[in-house]
Amino acid sequence: MFVLGFHFPASMGNIIPDELVAEKIAGVDISDVKEIKLLMGTKDKDKEWLSYTNKDTFLFRAMVHYFKEENPDKAQKYMIYMNRYQMSAISKRVDAADDETMKLCHNLDSMEQFRIEVA
Amino acid sequence: MAGAASLRQIAFYGKGGIGKSTTSQNTLAAMSHYFGKNIMIVGCDPKADSTRLILHEKAQDTILSLAAEMGTIEDVEMEQARLWGKGLFDRETPGGWINCTESGGPEPGVGCAGRGVITAINFLEEEGAYDEDGLDFVSYDVLGDVVCGGFAMPIREGKAQEIYIVMSGEMMAMYAANNISKGILKYANTGGVRLAGLICNARMTDKEYDLALELAQRLGTQLIHFVPRNNIVQHAELRRMTVVEYSPYSDQAREYKELARKIVYNDMKIIPTPISMDELEDLLLAFGLEDEVDESQVGKAAHEA
Repeated sequence: MFVLGFHFPASMGNIIPDELVAEKIAGVDISDVKEIKLLMGTKDKDKEWLSYTNKDTFLFRAMVHYFKEENPDKAQKYMIYMNRYQMSAISKRVDAADDETMKLCHNLDSMEQFRIEVA
Repeated sequence: MAGAASLRQIAFYGKGGIGKSTTSQNTLAAMSHYFGKNIMIVGCDPKADSTRLILHEKAQDTILSLAAEMGTIEDVEMEQARLWGKGLFDRETPGGWINCTESGGPEPGVGCAGRGVITAINFLEEEGAYDEDGLDFVSYDVLGDVVCGGFAMPIREGKAQEIYIVMSGEMMAMYAANNISKGILKYANTGGVRLAGLICNARMTDKEYDLALELAQRLGTQLIHFVPRNNIVQHAELRRMTVVEYSPYSDQAREYKELARKIVYNDMKIIPTPISMDELEDLLLAFGLEDEVDESQVGKAAHEA
């Protein structure tokens, strides 16, 4: 079973508890990130920049982890659809009280393409 | 049948027209190119389109067509029936290699198409294709629903051990996925076949990810990957190439690379728990793909309702 690209052994079943996913990204350093910038849209459509700054959420940490993984040059990175859908699904459960995050999750659930940068 | 103990035999099943051959070739290309895996493709579709992107050809000669040409299957040589991939997938190119076979089928309206699958697999076994040095994966690309014993052959006789069902968020694709799961369940105890995951080859319909995920969970498996729709796939196909070869740094190549990585490391192989037709319809209703219809309206034309 794969969640956010992490492999969980088959013995854990096909529904992985959110806490176990959160554990996988707990170690990511977010101290050097003030803002996540997301470029939403494709070449064929108008693109829109979204900004996300709420550091106290699962979603922020998950996105920073995704951005930093195998990206030593800190270049803009395409977001794999499955990963961002999974990020959104978990965030809607664990960050539900945060309106800004829920608004972003709504965008992430769309069919649009996303690219991520951090500042 | 011989073959290395570590040889994995996988199969891509799914509704006709869902994009099985495109998905399987792009995924296998990524497994070979990015992860160094050596692969044999056994196309089990009478259309014989399971290998064209790897070979850069329209369609290779099928085992059945060669047998018809030569007179009998015994007269067919391995070198005629099995071709080495071109470009990135040639055995002389660094990294993994892919070799290709197509079972073929009878003329339309004549004979049993599934028979070609059986003939092809028997031929490849007898000719030692499964014993090729360094072979890591055999991949079967199998047509449509499991409605015929011939097309169920790779799972019926335990040839394919792990099945990936290519589906989308459309009703008939989900129906076929559930039906294939029933076929796997039927042979799970005798042949050891297991369902290894659903691959959503997205049509980009509303709530498609949620729907595919829910179906996967109901079947007891995983949605191993959601492959978004991207025109670059068609652009690559026009050149008879996989996206991995046509544009290896493209967004879509990254999607196939991720799916390939998951298949390479996948250990979730389960006996599926198919659902009833009523449950399937309820699922579609729950995700808003079908409007609920009052029982009194069933069978009435639009102007009557």
